[in-house]
Order: sequence, then C-alpha cells, then structure tokens
Amino acid sequence: MTDFLSLILEPLQEVFLKFKVFLPNLLAMLVIMASGVVLAKIIKIILVKSLTAIDFDSWSDRMGFTKLMRKGDLWAKPSAILGAIVFWLLIIVTLMIGLSALKIPTIDNLVEQFFSYMPRVFSAAMILIIGYVLAGFISRGVLIAAVNSGYHYAKLLAEAIRTLLTVLILAMVMEQLQIAPSIVLAAFSIIFGGIVVALSISFGVGGIDAAKRMIERENKESRAAETGDDIEHI
Amino acid sequence: MSDFYQSGVITTLHQLGKPSLERLETELYGFSKTRPVALALPALYSEFEGPAMPGIVQELAKVKYLNEVVLVLDKASEKDFQRVREFMSPISTDVRIIHNDGRRITEIYETFARNGFNVGERGKGRSAWLAYGYVLARGKSDVIALHDCDIVTYSRELLARLCYPVVNPNLNYVFCKGYYSRVSSKMNGRVTRLLVTPLVRVLQQLIGPHGFLAFLDSFRYPLAGEFCMITDLARVNRIPWDWGLEVGSLAEVYRNYSPRRVCQVDIADNYEHKHQILSADDADKGLMKMTVDICKSIFRTLASEGVVFSDGLFKSLLVSYLRQAEDTIMKYEADAAINGLKFDRHEEAMAVEAFTRAIAMATQVFMDNPMTTPLIPNWNRVSTAIPDIFEMLKMAVDEDNK
Amino acid sequence: MPNVVTLRAEVHDQLEKIGSADIVVGIPSFNNARTIGHVVRAVQAGLAKYFPAHKAVIVNSDGGSSDGTMEVVRNAAVEDFNAILLHHRVEPISKIAFPYSGIPGKGSAFRSIFEIAQILDAKACVVVDSDLRSITPEWIELLVTPVLNGGFDYVAPLYHRHKFDGTITNSIVYPLTRTLYGKRVRQPIGGDFGFSGKLAQFYLTKDVWQSDVARFGIDIWMTTTAIANGFKVAQSFLGAKIHDAKDPGTDLSNMLYQVVSATFDLMENYTDVWMPVRDSEPVTTFGFEYTVGLEHVNVNTARMVNLFREGLNNLHEIWLDILGAGDFKEVERLGALSDGEFNFPLSLWTRVIYDYAIAFHQKKLPAEHLIKSLTPLYVGKTASFILAAEHMEAAEAEAEIEKLCMEFENHKNYLVTRWK
Repeated sequence: MTDFLSLILEPLQEVFLKFKVFLPNLLAMLVIMASGVVLAKIIKIILVKSLTAIDFDSWSDRMGFTKLMRKGDLWAKPSAILGAIVFWLLIIVTLMIGLSALKIPTIDNLVEQFFSYMPRVFSAAMILIIGYVLAGFISRGVLIAAVNSGYHYAKLLAEAIRTLLTVLILAMVMEQLQIAPSIVLAAFSIIFGGIVVALSISFGVGGIDAAKRMIERENKESRAAETGDDIEHI
Repeated sequence: MSDFYQSGVITTLHQLGKPSLERLETELYGFSKTRPVALALPALYSEFEGPAMPGIVQELAKVKYLNEVVLVLDKASEKDFQRVREFMSPISTDVRIIHNDGRRITEIYETFARNGFNVGERGKGRSAWLAYGYVLARGKSDVIALHDCDIVTYSRELLARLCYPVVNPNLNYVFCKGYYSRVSSKMNGRVTRLLVTPLVRVLQQLIGPHGFLAFLDSFRYPLAGEFCMITDLARVNRIPWDWGLEVGSLAEVYRNYSPRRVCQVDIADNYEHKHQILSADDADKGLMKMTVDICKSIFRTLASEGVVFSDGLFKSLLVSYLRQAEDTIMKYEADAAINGLKFDRHEEAMAVEAFTRAIAMATQVFMDNPMTTPLIPNWNRVSTAIPDIFEMLKMAVDEDNK
Repeated sequence: MPNVVTLRAEVHDQLEKIGSADIVVGIPSFNNARTIGHVVRAVQAGLAKYFPAHKAVIVNSDGGSSDGTMEVVRNAAVEDFNAILLHHRVEPISKIAFPYSGIPGKGSAFRSIFEIAQILDAKACVVVDSDLRSITPEWIELLVTPVLNGGFDYVAPLYHRHKFDGTITNSIVYPLTRTLYGKRVRQPIGGDFGFSGKLAQFYLTKDVWQSDVARFGIDIWMTTTAIANGFKVAQSFLGAKIHDAKDPGTDLSNMLYQVVSATFDLMENYTDVWMPVRDSEPVTTFGFEYTVGLEHVNVNTARMVNLFREGLNNLHEIWLDILGAGDFKEVERLGALSDGEFNFPLSLWTRVIYDYAIAFHQKKLPAEHLIKSLTPLYVGKTASFILAAEHMEAAEAEAEIEKLCMEFENHKNYLVTRWK
C-alpha cells in the first residue's frame, strides 16, 4: 500500500521539486515584465516630451513622413506614433528578457536569435527612412530642374527616378533583413535590368515614334529658345 | 461643367465659366463696408489636430472682407484653448473664440438653464446658436456666414461665393445655402441621396403639393453645413440642436421669409471633409440618430403647417419610401456607370433598409410625443426674458479672449 | 582690431608705404583683362578731376585670374589728362592689385577691400564692376561726393535701363526691400556703390564671410545692412550700365535662387527691423536724370508663357502647398488664358511672393527647391509685364512698377501676421 502511495506521491514530489526550482525564475520573469512595462511607459513619456520640445512634428511634416502616415490612415501626431512604436519595441525586449529569466534552453535559444536579429532590423529601418527622404529630395530636385529647363515630361521623369530609387531602397532593406536574399537579388536585377533594356529598346525600335516626337519637341523648343530673350533679368 | 437651369422655387446660382476670385473678393470688400460680414465657425478641439484646419487658417489669413470671426470651441481644456488662440493668430481679422468648456461660458449656459431655457445638448446646433448670440451682442455685423472646420479642400473661393449673394445689396437675398457635388471615386452623400430626396418626394406624393416640401426639394444639397444669412434671421429663427439642424434651419427660413429671397450657390468644384472616425457600431448608431432626427424635423414642420399625420399615412410612407428609394438607387447606378465611379449596389440597398428602419422609428417617436421639440428658443425671446444676456455674453467672451 | 589675416604680407607692406588715404576705390575682378583697363583709367580720371586734393588708392581684389588682369591694372594709366579737361597738377594715384583669400565669390573680394579701407582709415569708398563699358569719370564723383560732403553713408546706383531689363529687381527685390525697410532704393542690387569708411568698418564686424553672402549675395546684403542699421542712404543717377554680356549659360533659376534666397535670409536676421515699418519714403537722389529713346529688344513671350504653363502642370502639388487652395486656383485660371489675354494680376503676385517668403521662413521645403520652384511663376509675371508694357514709354512702365510696390505696401499686414 505504501508502495502504491509512494508511486503516486513520488512523481508529484518530483514535479513539486521542479516547480520549487522553477518558481524563482517565474517570479523573476514576472518582476522583469512588470518593471519593464513601467520603464517602457516612462521612457515613452520622456521621448514624446522631448520630441515635442525639438518640434519633431513639424520636421516630420516637412520631410513628408506625416503625409505617408496620413495615407496609411494614421491620424495621430507623429511624435505620438513614434512614442507608441518605441513603447511596443521596449515591451517586446522586456518580454524577451523575461522569457530568458525562465532559463528554459529552447526559449533561451529563441531569445538569442531574436537579439542577434535586432541590429539588422535597426539598420534596415535606418536605410528605409534615409532612403525615403533621399528619394523624395532627389526626385523633387529633378522635377524642378527639368521644369525650369522647359522639359515637357518633367513630372514623368521625376516619378520614374523616384520609382527606381524606391526599388533600390527596398531591395537594400530586404537584403539587410535577409528575407529570401537570392530571390530578392534576382528580382531586383531583373526589374532594374528590365527597365534599362526596355528604355533602350523603346528608343531603338519600339517607341521610335514616341521618342522621335519627344526629341522633335525638344528641338523645337530649343530652336525657339535660341530666338530667345535679349532682356537682362538682373 | 454645370448648366444654368433654374429648378424649384428658390434661385440657384451655378458656377458658369471660370469666374475670377480676385473680382469676387474685390466686390465683397467694397460691399462689406456697408454690410459687414461675420464668420461663425463651430469647431471641436480635435479638428485643430486634423488635416483640414491648417489649410482653413492659411486661406482665412488672406480674406480681407470679414469684419469678425467667431470660433466656438467645444471639448477643449484651458491649455487647448490657448493653443487654439495661437493657431488662429495668422488671421488678421478680429478673431473671438468662445470657449464652451471655460468657466465663464459654462456660467452663461447655466444662466439659460435657470431661466427656463433649454438650449439643448452639446453639439453643432448649440454652438452655432451661441455664435449668433455673440454676433448679435456685438452688433457690428449685418451678415453671418457659417461653415464647418473639417473641410479638407477648403479654399477662400468657397467663402466668397457663399457670402456674395447675401452681401451684395443689389441681389436682395436673406439666406443662401451652399451646394456641391460630393464625388470622389464614388458618390458620397448617402443620407441626402437615399433618405432626404426620396422621402421628400414621397411625402409630396402622399400629402399632395405643399409649399414646404417644394421648398425643401429645391435644395440640391439640403444637408450642407455651409450657409450665409442676414443677422435678422439669427434673431428670429429657432434652430434645432440635434441632427435635424440643417433641415430644421431651412424650415425656419421657410416659415419666416419668402422663397424668393432664398438662394443656393455652387461653392466648390470638389468638396471633401474628414469626419471624426467612428467605430462601426457608433457609425450605425450615429447614422440612425441622424436619420431619426431629420425625419422628426420634417414631420414636425409639416404638422405645424397643418398636415395631418395618421397611422395609415405613415404606413403608406414606409412602403412608398422603400419603392422610391429603390428606384433612386437605379438612377444613381446609371449615373455612376457612365462616369466610371465605383458603385456598390448592395451597400446602397443596405443603407436604404437602415433608413427605412429609422423612418419607422421616427414615426413611432413622433406619434408617441409630437410636442417634444429640440428647438432652441430664438434670441428675441431669450433677450426679452433675460435683458442683460447680450452684455453678459459679450463680457464673458471678451474676458476669455484677453 | 578685427582680424586682418586675409591680406597677404606683400599687401600689408604696400599699405604701410601708403600709410593712409581719403578715398579707396575697389574693383573686384576675375578674368576681366579686356575691360578692366578702361575701368581703371576712368576711375583714375575721376579721382584726378574731382578729388585732386584727396589721397586715393585703387584696389583690385582679384579671384585668381589667368588672363593677366592684375598686370593690366598695374599698367593702366591715363595718357592724356588734357582730354578730360584737367589743368592742374595731378598726384600719382596708388594702385594695389592682389588675389583675395576666402571663399570664391564677389563677397570675399569686397571683404578685402573693406579691410584695406579700414587699415588706410578711408573716409569714402567706392566699388565698381570690372566689366563696365559705360563707366565715366563722373561716376566717381557721383558715388563719392554724397559721402564726403553730404554726410551719407551709403550711395546706391541708379541706372538708366531698358523697361524690360532688371525684372528680378523690378518685380521682386525692389518692391520687397522697399516694403520691408521703408526706403525706396530703386536698384538695391546695382553692383556699383559708394559708402563711408564708417560703414565699411561696420560691414567687417558682421560674420557673414563663410556664408552664401560671400559667394553671391553681397550686393543685396550691403544695401539691406546699410538701411536696416540706420545708416544714411542715398542714390545717384549714373546713366546707362553697359557691361559684357553675361555668360548665357547662367541659368535663370540659379540667378533667381541666389538673389531671392539672399533677400529672404536677410529677412530672418532683421525681423525686428522690418516688422513695424509701414509705408516707405523716397531717398535723396543725386545726378541729372535723363531718358533715352528706346531700342527694340527681342523677347519671346510665347515661350515664357509656355514655361509658366509647364510649371503649372508639373509643380502643382508644390504650388498648392505654398499658396493655398484659393490662390492656387487663381494661378490655374491664368494657365487657361490664351497668350493674348495673359495677365498676371499684381495682387496675386504680391501674395505669391509673401507666401514664398513665409514658406522660406517656415522651411517648408529645402531652400533651393523652394525658390527654384518660383521660376515658372516669375517667368509668367515677367511675360505678363512685357505684354502689358509693350507700347509703353519708360515713364508709364515705371508707373506700373510703382503700382506693384503700392500693392506690396498695402498688403504688408498679411506678411506680418503670418510670420511666426
């Protein structure tokens, strides 16, 4: 009878022991999570306050980020959105740290992989942001220069350049994140190469009429410009 | 491009050709010397964080024919109020902000309440009414224009065209309503298209020709929130403080003035405003309440003109409305088809069903208690009962704006 | 004593030998060997004829010419003083020619001239362009006498120009400067100025020599600084300004960018000065004004109007953002007008310039993109003016410009209230 009892009690004891060992880890995780949440909230408040102080919102308006957010139907202030992003990032990090406190090997592995991936996410985000701003700047510069030299298809040119730059940026981001790198490489080469080939063909053969008209129009305008102005603007 | 067809009993002022804003504003500037214009803007604080307000302020900064701008600010804290003052500073016209949640204005509202005047719940109607009161109190303007603060495509041309018919002393209009086409990639303005217009036409069928219905039917966009009127109207009219505001205002104009002195004007080529984003639930509830309020307003007006509403009439109303609305959907479908606009037949049908339910609800409410009226008392009555109310209101607003 | 590190040792030696001078005439140059000789001789003759009792120095501040400009300067001399009706003994006039240091640009050249004026404790200074073909000895008298005898600190030039010339000045810089600072200096970016030694020293105290002012904004900077800091300003009628044809490669939008960005930048610095100013006053004008018959000038308004329309097509998002819906629609209406009816209303142009100034202040767009996007609008306005003024006499055309200035002045309130 005692054998039978011990048969039942032993595994229970084992579990209980294991649980006793595990309990501090669990408590540690809960404490980490709790303090992490509080810390994240504090950091978010400080971040939003400092962003407001440096007038982040109007900078975002000028750079065009706000417009992008509005297009995605996000109508909160840019500083608030950034604060929310940072907040949730911190929560995720806290979660990861908390999970590693459980000292369960498989989870540890996951956490390690997560943290080693973080720098890539960060650099990809940087590339995206800088690339977006740069593409906008360059395409706007091209637009204005083309318009001022009287080029009729200025808008088309500017949009084409913006698209090309965006494709480039996205490919770079994908490469950073190591999302299907070989496919991205192939796709990118095909798209870019394709555009170049298409342009050459169109000017050589296919769009010969359109190209001819474009060139003739340019010639007509430059001839008109030569019968140009003798006034001094300054 | 529009035509010049005059339909209905009121005058319609179309946009013909490419009229110059320069000329319009120069004329307005001249007229406004003898007929000063006030602009009333009912606004929520959240609209100042939205996409429309910066554009509106930028445009108003260039307007020179306004005598004063009265902004009624709802749902705003003290800090919000200061921020709004800063926000409106580029406008060189005299701007006064009525801070609804400030302690002085709250006190004013309580003054109304304890003297037995129910001025209604917080909302656009109440805000607009208080703005009228302030303009009357100051006594410096002869014309009041009003429009919303969420118009994303706002241009000073809208304001100029809205004011012109009333401000021009040669034209003799006392009230002018704006209209526009709310077409983007699809037709918007569902409540007007599928509720008001069919309902009014059906009522005309059932009741027979009636002056008010003919009047209402003449408006191309009866629910437009943009209108302009002489201050006398602000003294005499009783406006509803619920969703029946627009229709109710038109009813008051019909009661007090001849349709020959009323007009509507095409104020914008494209018009888009950004509503507050409601949850799907709220949207339904909101839409239902709007429909019920509009129907109640129409029923009440007709009843006050001597129309007898019976159970049988209401039953026929529901059936005819449904039929009429379905016919109307087909007409809009054809219009959308030829112009390549998106048109979701099912969505439109669902809306009609919802409207039918709402009309039923409205008839029920009306039959239960036809005397409940969400009409704010007119300023003549209020100022007779509380003789110093204008002085007090002026002092409160001026103090707030110091 | 502010830094004088920009001048080389040889120059200092020469200056020591000279000791001091009453008048300093500065001529900045870069590859102007063909024309600078005439300029130097005219200056010499002017100094000899009108200021024989004053000690004068001619300073050539060169940008590193490769065509022997400085040699020409050193060798230039008036052969026959009798020809200019001089009958008294003439003191030799010292000349210094050297390459300036600093950022390449007219501003750096001027800085060296200011420093020399300070070292020599000059009472009056003049700067003239090195490619002037129409300079006469009288120019020196007209630019120096108001300073020496009239007590003025700054003398701006007033040229007789064709009614279609100087459109950037006529439609932007003159109305704006006049409205902002309240003085009717008709040609604030003339290029040839007179100023007092006191003003030269003041210029040196300003730390602008590493900025765009040194590169291309020196002319408007000098005029604005003089007016905004309360110096006494006058203008002198010099006659026609004929100089070497500008390099046709100089792109219009670049010119516009340089001039307008310099003007807008100055608005930032002198906000407290221009905000309270209302109305404008005329400035004392010296010289004997005359008008000459008008030669016909070739101008292709059809191309200009087309450029405006193209700008409207391609830049409408940028213009809508800067001008607002109401004025943008007005601009759109202009685009729909035929060539014959094309007319850019003055009040619209006023608001456009003010809106651009405000957008510049609020940094809505990178500065270069912002101002270059103004080019099609400017071209449209110019075409409209040319079409309207085609059969006008010079006086009538000038009245048109006066009307534009009054528009600017009457609407200054809009600029002031929107400037935050």
